[in-house]
Amino acid sequence: MLTFVVRRLLLAVPVLLGVVFVVMLTVDLLPGDAVTLMLGEHATKDAVAKLRDHLGLDKPFLVRYLEYVGRVARGDLGRSIQQNRPVVSELADTWPATLQLTVAALVLAAGAGILAGVASAVWPNSVFDALARLGSLFGLSMPIFWTGLVLIVVFSLWLNWLPVGGAGSLAHLILPAVTLALPSVAMISRMTRAAVLDVLREDYVRTARAKGVGELWVLGRHALRNAFIPILTLLGLQSGQLMGGAVLTETVFAWPGLGRLMVKAIFARDYILLQGAVLVFALAFVVINLLVDLSYGLLDPRIGRQG
Amino acid sequence: MRPTLRSRFLTGCLVLAVAAALVPAADAQKRGGTLTIVRPTDPVSLDPNLETTAPGAWVYFNMLEGLLTLDDKMQVKPLLATSYEVMSPTKVRFKLRPGVKFHDGTPFNAAAVKFTFDRALRGTPPARWASLAGSLDGAEVVDDLTVDVVTREPYGPILRTLAMYCMGMVSPTAVQKMGADFSRAPVGTGPFKFVEWKTNTHVIIERNPDYWGDRALVDRVVFKVVPEEGARMIALQTGDADMVLFPSPAQLPALRKDPKFTVHETTGIRVVFVGLHAGMPPLDDVRVRQALLHAVDRKAILDNIMEGSAGPALGVLAPGVFGFKDMHLDRLYPFDRAKAKALLAQAGWTPGSDGIMVKGGQRLSLSWLAARGRYPKDGEITEAIQAMFKEVGVEAKVQVLEWAAVFQQLRGATFNHHVFTLGWVTSNADADYSLYALFHSKQAPPTGWNTSRYANARVDALVEQARRSLNQTEREKLYGEVQDIVAKEMVWIPVYTTKEIIVSRANVKGFHIHPVEYNLTLSKTWIDK
Repeated sequence: MLTFVVRRLLLAVPVLLGVVFVVMLTVDLLPGDAVTLMLGEHATKDAVAKLRDHLGLDKPFLVRYLEYVGRVARGDLGRSIQQNRPVVSELADTWPATLQLTVAALVLAAGAGILAGVASAVWPNSVFDALARLGSLFGLSMPIFWTGLVLIVVFSLWLNWLPVGGAGSLAHLILPAVTLALPSVAMISRMTRAAVLDVLREDYVRTARAKGVGELWVLGRHALRNAFIPILTLLGLQSGQLMGGAVLTETVFAWPGLGRLMVKAIFARDYILLQGAVLVFALAFVVINLLVDLSYGLLDPRIGRQG
Repeated sequence: MRPTLRSRFLTGCLVLAVAAALVPAADAQKRGGTLTIVRPTDPVSLDPNLETTAPGAWVYFNMLEGLLTLDDKMQVKPLLATSYEVMSPTKVRFKLRPGVKFHDGTPFNAAAVKFTFDRALRGTPPARWASLAGSLDGAEVVDDLTVDVVTREPYGPILRTLAMYCMGMVSPTAVQKMGADFSRAPVGTGPFKFVEWKTNTHVIIERNPDYWGDRALVDRVVFKVVPEEGARMIALQTGDADMVLFPSPAQLPALRKDPKFTVHETTGIRVVFVGLHAGMPPLDDVRVRQALLHAVDRKAILDNIMEGSAGPALGVLAPGVFGFKDMHLDRLYPFDRAKAKALLAQAGWTPGSDGIMVKGGQRLSLSWLAARGRYPKDGEITEAIQAMFKEVGVEAKVQVLEWAAVFQQLRGATFNHHVFTLGWVTSNADADYSLYALFHSKQAPPTGWNTSRYANARVDALVEQARRSLNQTEREKLYGEVQDIVAKEMVWIPVYTTKEIIVSRANVKGFHIHPVEYNLTLSKTWIDK
């Protein structure tokens, strides 16, 4: 078990190296550079050259990459190009907000999605099932910035129940978490419905019912537990989706998280800051999927023994 | 000649006092309360050394003060200096306001002025604003309240340079004590002082109770970040915000009619134009360029595309800029397709089989580089003018690229397009900044911004002379002559002058919008509860 965890964590190293490489290369290929953006369009050639030199931006791409990797290996994420502030402080300021938002959205998505999915599976083709399907279609198709604005108009402007944006209280969290969770609720409920329906057709479910086990017990003990493996896999993948969605949600709701920091870094071509933020996202994704893999063993002992 | 700002300033005060006595005050000013402002982005920094763009400038402009400032009529006014005297072509002596203290208690004096300029101009790297400051070289202490500002060479725009929003004086003690942290909590002499900055959430400033002048009316100002345009407008409607910077243009017509809101607007200092490459045939023929100006219906663009969100372009400079002269473009180049075709005919172009003009087997086809979304409605304008060119038999092949890519090509030593869409701000509000960098023949990129490759020896001589002179009356005359010459040989089709627009709730009083977007003065603003 421990070797499994260690091996998986070591595998994350090349993944992160690759992520940094791709991000850095993308920023490098983007037209426009940090110095021009900092000094403005009217800056003299001389001033631009001086600042480029000062920031080390005139070094070749590979040299900058290796230097960066070397520093990260020593635990130094560098200083942001634009603000000359340690990237670590920028990340420390913003990641709790993003964690709060994604966890809230994940809990909402898992709770609502699984409940709706199970209900749809238990009463397939009922009115509820039809509504849930329609709702899922809606949740999946509507872009986050659109649903976000609609929710703001309804709950902030018309009903005046919730704040327009910003962070600070639980009330501030409700709208962004719901907005972010909606597409995932749709995915999870669809997946749960299919998985539970599959299991309910299994022989052991029929056997359980035949020996007189109550319907709730059949669902909870036999059906759900077995249907949970694909649902859990999806939850792991959805957490990545949620982190991506957080970028949009944070923008719409002025939520002070990592996503907004990343957008800011992209617009400023601040590759040092951007890489720091992407590293956090990538690491979070790796860890979540590791946790998902580990929990398979808890749900299905056969998987654990093979690992 | 010893022009003093003080005498002009005092006359101004007297006129104001008389006016105030004659007109009964419409509203009694109320003190107190918090003014909440929403804007799209967080500052890069609150230190002008590191930040010259609006998100930071809006905030620090209320905390840091320079020697001079520009009022909302774009006139130079004393701030921390009370008078000035030109000592030599490279030296201007300033008397400083006595009894002024920085927010940390440090006295403001000549040493602080020298410290501020040394830090900005000799630091590594130099301040972000150093390249806006021309040949400003620093300051020399004469006595505690007298300072000489020196330039490397005679530099006429020095006054307006010192009046720029980013020339605020910083407390030497605070800079030395705080080090890098200063950029997040600056210490100046202004009517507001720093309270808190939560990254990507808000910056809070509060009234400076020890301010040397009229104290600010509101207790606090909270600058909130709301990136989404729609959400900003909703925040204004729910009362979560009192003021919106960068309001949604689409909502302005409705907001103007709504008594719950006040739309503050004024003509800005950016001119958006279509540039013509005069070094590249067939645009090296002035008649072809003039024909293109006659072919464009600029009023239709203002009415139908800009819909009141911009003002007419009166020349290559905006009216608020020192040295501006109206080029009377409507008289020189009225929209007249027959005239355009006649000029093209004079230049030897005749209509071809498909309606496009030809000359010696060559079609009149222009390559045009443009971005979309860099300036308000730039894409729509490019398309509209492309269609207008076609009406007089000129084909334009437009290549739309991302702004950064357009920028790179514009800055290159060679530019391979006939036409480009661009906007230009006269950052220090002095004609030198634009007429020198854009029309001097030696200022072709990558040195300057003469992307049109305009070349006229007389213009070169005039802008050089005006840069060296410290006699502002003479400079104004020289720039007038430059604009008269340029108007006859146009290398631009000026399209519009930007408007600065801010929307507030109707109970926000006493706010005056400034032509320079960064100059957001909040000390006279109050809230009528």
